[in-house]
Amino acid sequence: MTAATAPARPTTADDARERRMRHSGRRRRIGLVLVFLMLVALTVVYVYPFLIAVATSFTTQEQSVTNPLSLVPADATTDAYQRLFLRSDFPVWLRNSVIVTTCVTIGRVFLDSLAGYALARLPFRGRRPVFAGVVAVMAVPGVVLLIPKFLVINQLGMYDSFAGLIIPLLADAAGVFIMKNFFESIPVSVEEAARIDGAGVFRTYWSVILPMARPAIVTLVILSFQGSWNELSHFIVAAQDPQLNTLTKGVAQLASGALSQGSQYPIKLAAATVMTIPVAVLFFIFQRRIMNSTAGAEKG
Amino acid sequence: MRTTRTALTALLAGGALALTACGGSGFSDDDATTDPGTTTDEGGELTVLIGSSGDAETDAVNAAVAAWAEESGSDATVTVASDLPQQLSQGFAAGSPPDVFYVGTDNLAAYAANGSLLAYGDQLSNVDDFYPALVDNFTSGGKLYCAPKDFSTLALVINTDAWTAAGLTDAEIPTDWAGLADVAARLTTGEQVGLTFGPEYQRVGVFMAQAGGGLVSDDGATAVADSPENAEALTFVQQMLRDGALAFPSAIDSGWGGEAFGTGRAAMTIEGNWIVGALRNDFPDVKYQVVELPAGPAGQGTLQFTNCWGIATDSANQAAALDLVEFLTSTDQQAGFADAFGVMPSVQSAAEDFRSSYPEMTAFLDSADFAVGMPTAQGANDVIGDFNGQIEGLADADVAAMLASVQTNLQAVLDSQG
Amino acid sequence: MSTARGPQPSGSRLEGRRAAAGWLFITPVLVILGVFLLVPVLMAAWVSVSDWTGRGSPLSGSTSFVGADNYRALVLGGGLPTQDFGMSLRNNAWYVFLVVPVQTALSLLLAVLVNRRLLRARGFFRTAFYFPSVTSSVAITVVFLFLFSASGAVNRLVGNLGANGPNWFSDARGVGHLLLGGVGVDRAPSALADHGFVGISWWDWLAGPSVAMTVFIVMAVFTTSGTFMLLFLAALQSISDEIDEAAMMDGASPWQRFSRVTLPMLRPTLFTVTTLGLIGTWQVFDQIYTGSQGGPAKTTLTPAYLSYSASFLSGQWGRGAAIAFILFAIIIVLTALQRFVLRDRGTPRRRRLVPSSSSVVPAGAAPGPATEPGGAP
Repeated sequence: MTAATAPARPTTADDARERRMRHSGRRRRIGLVLVFLMLVALTVVYVYPFLIAVATSFTTQEQSVTNPLSLVPADATTDAYQRLFLRSDFPVWLRNSVIVTTCVTIGRVFLDSLAGYALARLPFRGRRPVFAGVVAVMAVPGVVLLIPKFLVINQLGMYDSFAGLIIPLLADAAGVFIMKNFFESIPVSVEEAARIDGAGVFRTYWSVILPMARPAIVTLVILSFQGSWNELSHFIVAAQDPQLNTLTKGVAQLASGALSQGSQYPIKLAAATVMTIPVAVLFFIFQRRIMNSTAGAEKG
Repeated sequence: MRTTRTALTALLAGGALALTACGGSGFSDDDATTDPGTTTDEGGELTVLIGSSGDAETDAVNAAVAAWAEESGSDATVTVASDLPQQLSQGFAAGSPPDVFYVGTDNLAAYAANGSLLAYGDQLSNVDDFYPALVDNFTSGGKLYCAPKDFSTLALVINTDAWTAAGLTDAEIPTDWAGLADVAARLTTGEQVGLTFGPEYQRVGVFMAQAGGGLVSDDGATAVADSPENAEALTFVQQMLRDGALAFPSAIDSGWGGEAFGTGRAAMTIEGNWIVGALRNDFPDVKYQVVELPAGPAGQGTLQFTNCWGIATDSANQAAALDLVEFLTSTDQQAGFADAFGVMPSVQSAAEDFRSSYPEMTAFLDSADFAVGMPTAQGANDVIGDFNGQIEGLADADVAAMLASVQTNLQAVLDSQG
Repeated sequence: MSTARGPQPSGSRLEGRRAAAGWLFITPVLVILGVFLLVPVLMAAWVSVSDWTGRGSPLSGSTSFVGADNYRALVLGGGLPTQDFGMSLRNNAWYVFLVVPVQTALSLLLAVLVNRRLLRARGFFRTAFYFPSVTSSVAITVVFLFLFSASGAVNRLVGNLGANGPNWFSDARGVGHLLLGGVGVDRAPSALADHGFVGISWWDWLAGPSVAMTVFIVMAVFTTSGTFMLLFLAALQSISDEIDEAAMMDGASPWQRFSRVTLPMLRPTLFTVTTLGLIGTWQVFDQIYTGSQGGPAKTTLTPAYLSYSASFLSGQWGRGAAIAFILFAIIIVLTALQRFVLRDRGTPRRRRLVPSSSSVVPAGAAPGPATEPGGAP
């Protein structure tokens, strides 16, 4: 910046520059206020739908039609929640989602970190083609797998069971990718030190490297939780027993009119609210990590 | 490197072969069970899958099956499907379908064609008691595949309070199209629309029947969708839509005609027997009257719907399943179902009893005399689905083009029948 | 640390042990990915060229090879299957055509807005915009079903502004036709109405997304703009401030700074965002399954949903599998095309030799992005 020492006789160029900077100072402030206002407006657009949804879940069907924009329910009632929890299969769906998500998350963390470590640090023949294969698999669009996954699960006798819901979700190429990237950033000297001290491969991995990978593991836990909690198409094809419905499948069928043939908005919105709570809680606790890791993971 | 690659390919190929082995093994005894006359009898629990119209139906079926279980000493469980066609198709593909399940006229041909249904019609002891029209609906390739469980017709349901509030009397109950349009217009107020029914062939078809048209010829070989009679019917419905006397349920914030009727958003609706149970459960305060649909240019006409109890070919328990079905279609049980959710018994021996017990539903039973069933050809369901999509936009649609497309598609489907 | 357990295995034996461990570690993942990703694709390929009717194993003896019959019925047949497939392609094409640019532009805008150094509560805004991406598509669809119902929040808002909102999810009118009707083109010109592509007339191809589909488009932008905003933010933050200030000193206006300096440096991220957008939008399924099941009048039917309904609901497994593979091919072709279009063409030799005073790229700035994120998926 050349503003520090102004020449005694200002040239037209310097004059212009100074004017520009003065204007730009003011313009900057105005610009900032405008930006702030725009952001606030956009935030309202982004957040209001969720607020309406929660508020409406505490009203009756009639209220939801007459006062669709209100954030404060006229006569608040927990009818919808009662109907949901006491007179429908919602608790079963909740239980199933919890079971499936827990198993998938634990499984993914374990398997993906093993595989990531192997790809990052263990010298086995065929490492490169295997990695290329894993990356290629990430490219297959999910829709192609909808029908055939059903056929395979069927053939393996896992259809209509928790095994069919959980096992296919256990390995996730993106998770392997994340772990591999992270392990590659751990200096080799740590491993060598462990090896010199006499630790075998698995012991090195389990007691030395894995504890160091805590940030990546937390990331993987969050992403796996989110991914399996919000998964839908796999659950549609993997089971048909209503007792095996997860939250996503159950609420989807609720939305398309299964529970009663009417448009019972408070009930549907209550269901949507309850199913969003766990991911929302997880999100708010781990915000920073999620937002940073998403940017990093998706780049690759 | 080469050895690794071959190892990988060997692993994958081996895996694929293993799956083939897995897949091929369990199905060598297919042929035995498709042979009509033989039934499996391995004992064990029966699974029954139903597509329920509401709590009333679920409870009734549960009670009936429990009664059978006690009587016969076997076990049976009833499951309500959230998406019956999907669950059935997955069950058939998996080789583990439920033992007994609802089959509609739209799916019969498909399931019979791929061998998933057991044709047990010749083994039914009460086969002569069923209405012949219903038996026809479930006969494919000369074989009766399943026992009709009940049937329903469509009739006009009128909200009597709204009727009197509009200054209408019993004498003005419509007996022809002009009367219907007139009454619907007079019942339309700011809060309430005169008439509502779902935007689908399963409702609009009554007008087509009343005009003398239809979808398929009597012998089931030719599509007759593109006819002046059908055009007349659709134009009549279109005019009512444009006049505002008719609105589809989604336009008045309702999921189906019964909900619109029960919440008072519509004064009249065209629905089937099931509305009785639904109104009793969800809208008990609404006073209504059921009358036969008005006649069209070719006389009276309405649609008839029926389902049957299908038994799976892959069921390990067919003898017990057959016993259960005979129990469920017996005169007493059918009377019980009629009581619970208002369907009409499929056996003629229960007709008189029904008429005397439920005078308010006489209109439904009487409508059976001029009722037309749904087309049963395989693939017709998809064409009707496409037709329904077009009916949703009936208010602005080109009726001739609509019928022409249905004609082409339906004829293609009929031509591909063996 | 434990004491040494004895003489360590020498070089190659240690390597061998580690290699074996490597295979052991990676096997579970390989098996699961192979069995549930690779084998299904092969099986689906078989089903798409067979006449399997949906009972028993498709690999058993009773299913036979029928060649490209299923594919032919879809693309050339002309009957209902072709019409449905053409419809789904048209719907999805418009969806992609509208969603990808809008979500890219919006997420870039959000990133630029949130990136201001002096802005307070940046974290709050970031969170607010990213939150919809975290929730399940089912939950969001349910919320939108309510918001856009005939007497829902959106119509109430529109009503407050004096207009009459349509019955969103039941309105099958094409936005394209509405716009054309607005300028007086009410009826299909015969050239467009008589000829078609994949069973749908050209006039119907021009219909654009239906009003119902437009709601899904808004939903897509709503849920994905947050994720892509984060990608752009990360890229923006890696662009050094000095470059921007140098450009400002050279007299560049904010718009020139953005389009000539910032945007070219964002090219890799732009590429990633559009690729992810393309891949995601061609597969839209969850929202359709939950929200409209293809209606009204099949205007929200997409190839992914058609593949599902043809197989599971209509029992046409071969056709469903064929649809899935055609979709796969479309995605691959479009991704390759997009890679070609957005590729870094490099600086033309001529410009390097001639010092340019008109271009605003300040001296000292790197001609390409300083950090190149890893190759796009």
